[in-house]
Amino acid sequence: MTVEAPVFEETPPEVEPARGAVDWARKNLFNNWYNSLLTLALAVFVIWALLALVRALFSADYEIIQANLRLFMIGGFPADQLWRPWAATYCFTVLFGVVGGSLSAGARDRATEAGLPHVRTTFRQIVIRFWPIVGLIVVILSFTTTVTPTLLTIGALVAALGAYYLGRVLPRAIRRWTWLIAVVLIVAAYVALAGFGGVGWQGWGGLQLNLFLAFAGILIAFPFGLLLALGRRSPLPVIRTISVTYIEIVRGVPLITVLLAGAFAIGFLIPRDLRPSLVTRMLIAIIAFEAAYIAEVVRGGLQAVPRGQVEAAQAVGLTPWRTMRLIVLPQALRATIPAMVGQFISLFKDTTLVAVLGITELLDATFIVNSQSAYLGKGLFVVTLSFAALVFWVGSYTMSRESRRLERKLGVGER
Amino acid sequence: MTATMDYSDATRATGEAIIELEGVDKFFGDFQALKDINMRIGQQEVVVVIGPSGGGKSTLIRCINRLEKHDAGRVMVDGIELSDDLRNIQEVRRETGMVFQQFNLFPHLTVLDNVTLAPRQVRKLPKRDAEELAMQMLKRVKIPEQARKYPGQLSGGQQQRVAIARALAMQPKVMLFDEPTSALDPEMIKEVLDVMVELAHGGMTMIVVTHEMGFARAVANRVVFMADGEIVEVGTPEHFFADPQEERTKLFLSQIL
Repeated sequence: MTVEAPVFEETPPEVEPARGAVDWARKNLFNNWYNSLLTLALAVFVIWALLALVRALFSADYEIIQANLRLFMIGGFPADQLWRPWAATYCFTVLFGVVGGSLSAGARDRATEAGLPHVRTTFRQIVIRFWPIVGLIVVILSFTTTVTPTLLTIGALVAALGAYYLGRVLPRAIRRWTWLIAVVLIVAAYVALAGFGGVGWQGWGGLQLNLFLAFAGILIAFPFGLLLALGRRSPLPVIRTISVTYIEIVRGVPLITVLLAGAFAIGFLIPRDLRPSLVTRMLIAIIAFEAAYIAEVVRGGLQAVPRGQVEAAQAVGLTPWRTMRLIVLPQALRATIPAMVGQFISLFKDTTLVAVLGITELLDATFIVNSQSAYLGKGLFVVTLSFAALVFWVGSYTMSRESRRLERKLGVGER
Repeated sequence: MTATMDYSDATRATGEAIIELEGVDKFFGDFQALKDINMRIGQQEVVVVIGPSGGGKSTLIRCINRLEKHDAGRVMVDGIELSDDLRNIQEVRRETGMVFQQFNLFPHLTVLDNVTLAPRQVRKLPKRDAEELAMQMLKRVKIPEQARKYPGQLSGGQQQRVAIARALAMQPKVMLFDEPTSALDPEMIKEVLDVMVELAHGGMTMIVVTHEMGFARAVANRVVFMADGEIVEVGTPEHFFADPQEERTKLFLSQIL
């Protein structure tokens, strides 16, 4: 029997590479009659929508935002105490500057030691990286009526730059204490806002409150989440059961339920004089909720550390506790950064839920200003809600981009 | 591989026993991984353990530093009997270094930090002394110039040599090697074996699970053949390779040689 040689079909006719936009359009958009029809119909719709958007953008009455900008940003913070939020803002810009500069210097030193070239981030790259934030600041400043906020913002940028260079030139011995500088600045920001006759978080509102609830929520929840994650892996059945029960109950309940429980159940259980303020109860509820989610994120990170790492640490004689602290956790937590940022982004958006309990955070503020007598019945919800949406989008989008950048840099998922 | 190597000095006096196993059993569920293992390893002795995969070679040496807990029998290392007592376990681990097939270097630490970690944390050496010691060990494995790099920047052979330096930095009395060259590209095997041969010539007590018969021929005082959780045959390399007694040994050798 003879085996016929396989007959190969001729290579399919080469798809000619499209030359120019006209060619591309003919191939992809107008290659037959119904596609052409669809293309035309969609084109008309897109042009109409764009025009409507532009018209809306330019004809809208932004006075409502202009008049209420302070409410959106800092809620009912007393008007004669405005220096306080500004002082806090300066604390944070300096914080970001110093930490950024010190991290950059650390990367530079490590690269030098390992004999690798270090590419320094340029100012232009930073602006491009943070263009949504830059844009948002410009938009917000365009709603201000005096020149002071603009000047103060420029001052804050200068302060951030100065802090960045300070962070870069700090001697190594001091740089190890950057985290302490950060803590001091955070405390300073809080004292500036609340100390010496200021307003504590119980009275905060607007975007300031959203940011506070999100940052304080995730930071305080983190150690609890870590403990829960470790508890879930504990060899002791009691601890394991408690951890698993807590995590699964909280994760099975919507955040709004936990917030309502915080508002009413905690309020009901604790006598009136000892009862924490509503915002504090919200914060407690958020921490309780986030701890369970962080526990699951950390668990994923712990599982990502190969068993061989623990064995190698044991083999050189490290105790279980040191193995966890020096070998497992550093690797596990690094692997959780992207998921942790995702968790933070969703919390940042979810802080708007406290509006349900009548707390004037940003979303609630953009809603209630429509019942001010000057704007009542004018249907400006679209304008104010768009503003809130823009603020949340800029924050979330920037964080998600930064997290992806960090992910690439740390090589997470490449190992 | 054997042709390129010249490891002639294989005869060394074996001193007092440093590792003793008596009637050791180990189960994974219903599966018996070790069946009544009896073994006595002298100081400065080099024992090479060979055998088909799944035969219990790795389990055997992992019982010696308690990465696996034996279910019956006694394991003694330098006069310390391994039990559930955590202090005994820590003490034994301080005296035994281990090198793994997959290197298991700590990827978040530099080479230098990988090597200094245990001396600083376990033996409480000051940083400076630990780094000096680490550099000595890195010189011994011939990569002192890589000290500031991260494991991920090194080749497999280099990583395994760092792993050897990391184990040596604890100045152990015994070194355990669990298939140290099995995960390496062929061209990197020699650089690791060379380091191990030097270590053997330097008088280190070593138990080596490997498929490198050239290494076994050259430096082993004894070759142990394991299959199905049992020690099937033990002998000096000359006798073991030239004149195996057991059927299973003959079959195995005919398959790999």
